[in-house]
Amino acid sequence: MAEWLMISELAMNKVKAANRQNQASHRGNDVSALQIHRKIALDSAKRLILSPLSSLMTIVVIAVSLLLPALLFGLNENLQSILLEFQNSARITLFLDNSVSESQGQKVSDDLLTDNTIQSAIYVSATKALEEFSLSSGLGEVLRSLSSNPLPAAVIITPATLNTREVNALSQRLETISEVDFIQLDSQWINRLSALSDLISIVGQLLAAIVITGLFFIIGNTIKLSIENRRQEIQVIKLVGGTDIYIARPFLYTGLLFGILGGSVAVFLQLIILIMLNGSLQELIQLYSSNFELRGFGFFNSLSLVITGALVGWLGAFLASFRYIRGVNP
Amino acid sequence: MIKINKLSKRYGDGQDALTNINFEIGKGEMSFVTGHSGAGKSTLLKLILAIEKPSGGDLIVNGLNLNKLSRREIPYHRRKIGTVFQDHQLLTDRTVFENVLLPLEISGFPVEDAKRRVRAALDKVGLLKKEKIFPAALSGGEQQRVGIARAVVNRPSIILADEPTGNLDPNLSAEVMKVFEQFKNVGVSLLVASHDTSLIKTLNYRVIHLDHGRMVNDIGISNE
Ligand SMILES: Nc1ncnc2c1ncn2[C@@H]1O[C@H](COP(=O)(O)OP(=O)(O)OP(=O)(O)O)[C@@H](O)[C@H]1O
Ligand SMILES: [Mg+2]
Repeated sequence: MAEWLMISELAMNKVKAANRQNQASHRGNDVSALQIHRKIALDSAKRLILSPLSSLMTIVVIAVSLLLPALLFGLNENLQSILLEFQNSARITLFLDNSVSESQGQKVSDDLLTDNTIQSAIYVSATKALEEFSLSSGLGEVLRSLSSNPLPAAVIITPATLNTREVNALSQRLETISEVDFIQLDSQWINRLSALSDLISIVGQLLAAIVITGLFFIIGNTIKLSIENRRQEIQVIKLVGGTDIYIARPFLYTGLLFGILGGSVAVFLQLIILIMLNGSLQELIQLYSSNFELRGFGFFNSLSLVITGALVGWLGAFLASFRYIRGVNP
Repeated sequence: MIKINKLSKRYGDGQDALTNINFEIGKGEMSFVTGHSGAGKSTLLKLILAIEKPSGGDLIVNGLNLNKLSRREIPYHRRKIGTVFQDHQLLTDRTVFENVLLPLEISGFPVEDAKRRVRAALDKVGLLKKEKIFPAALSGGEQQRVGIARAVVNRPSIILADEPTGNLDPNLSAEVMKVFEQFKNVGVSLLVASHDTSLIKTLNYRVIHLDHGRMVNDIGISNE
């Protein structure tokens, strides 16, 4: 070993001289232990750029695949929040017979308050109903010109329970009251919406599972191709003692990058879709609630989309690279 | 360091590349392997490097029986061996410096130390000035020397060289042999496959002569 040191010393002196000569042009080769990962990541990025078309294709495929379930989940989150808002105010409206007088109507309402399955009962006379309607609709002039009031008097009930079966039982009892013409159960459409939301959620989950499986194959295939392209390089690294993990590292970064970029493009596409739909969406939402805000497409949802992409990309690359690297032998 | 006992290798197509090979190379010993083209020289080195599996017999390298080597252990086994390949096996998209750095990079060597070693190894083969050049821009002999630098940079306990002087002129060949002798003198075991009988004669090391995969007149160490 002493000899080696001597030779090394000798070499170092020459090296110093050589370094002085080309100091200006000397860069690169600076691989510090902490920079190795950064170097590999940059290298992977460079390779993506070197074949821009196929990289772009992969990224767009990942983006669109992620976008579909993401849109469904986003839509569902909004449905859920609408449901939540309305479930707190599930109402039953009892429309009274035209023959029922105001005092009779008020009495029906007061009697109902004694029922402990009813939280509140408010009597709305036909006149008041017309007043409110002309205000909210802006059709005041038209309505005032009518000779008689087309609206019936009503009792608006908030059940003490949100349980569908109990609410249904209550409404059946209410229907038997003689003063009542017909009843309207506001929770009916809530139930339908809730069922729809459940369906969307299941479809979304199924779609997500299918899409993620598909992405594993797509990313796996991309990684397989780039392993094929670098077959010779892998053989050389194996010959001088490189482990599979060492060889896999750049491919894992490639998968990770594809995933992150795919997720980011998905967020971008989602944004474009939201902007395009913005007008009609607002209108639709206004029909249900005045203080409703679109949710499910905010920062955290976008972040989770990118993170999902990154995880799927990395895992897809992980599964593929070890399988195919194992098959490359010198 | 290398113990070979009744070793044989038959390739998948039924080709007998090696039959009943027996020899031993101790610490600080250097041996040549000669023989006609197709005699089995490269096959022998490939077996030692665990690139191919023996069909019969035992191969003990650094105290490890290669028949018992698991897939996982192979890279670590190869790291202890510096190999000069007949077809160079350089990475075309890396510079000379990066090619020689590769074995150190793989084993996670401290960076500053690694750079020093790479330059020392390049200096040994006279390629210090070409460190930033890509292999494609080098002559055959220069590529071969990069391969030699890469084989020794890790300071392995065993060096295998397959036709290391195949593309070199007599002067450079003698230089390379001097480098090998330096390693031998610090305790490294070397096995050099070569056609170059005139060079081998001038050196007087033990020569293992292969003929159609069989050993004929192992000349032994005549002098040192
Ligand atoms: N992968 C392989 N599959 C099948 N046969 C092989 C394989 N590699 C080598 N052989 C055969 O084994 C025999 C020995 O080959 P080897 O490469 O060891 O010869 P060599 O002595 O190195 O020749 P050269 O001097 O030309 O390099 C040859 O007959 C060759 O055809
Ligand atoms: Mg050969």
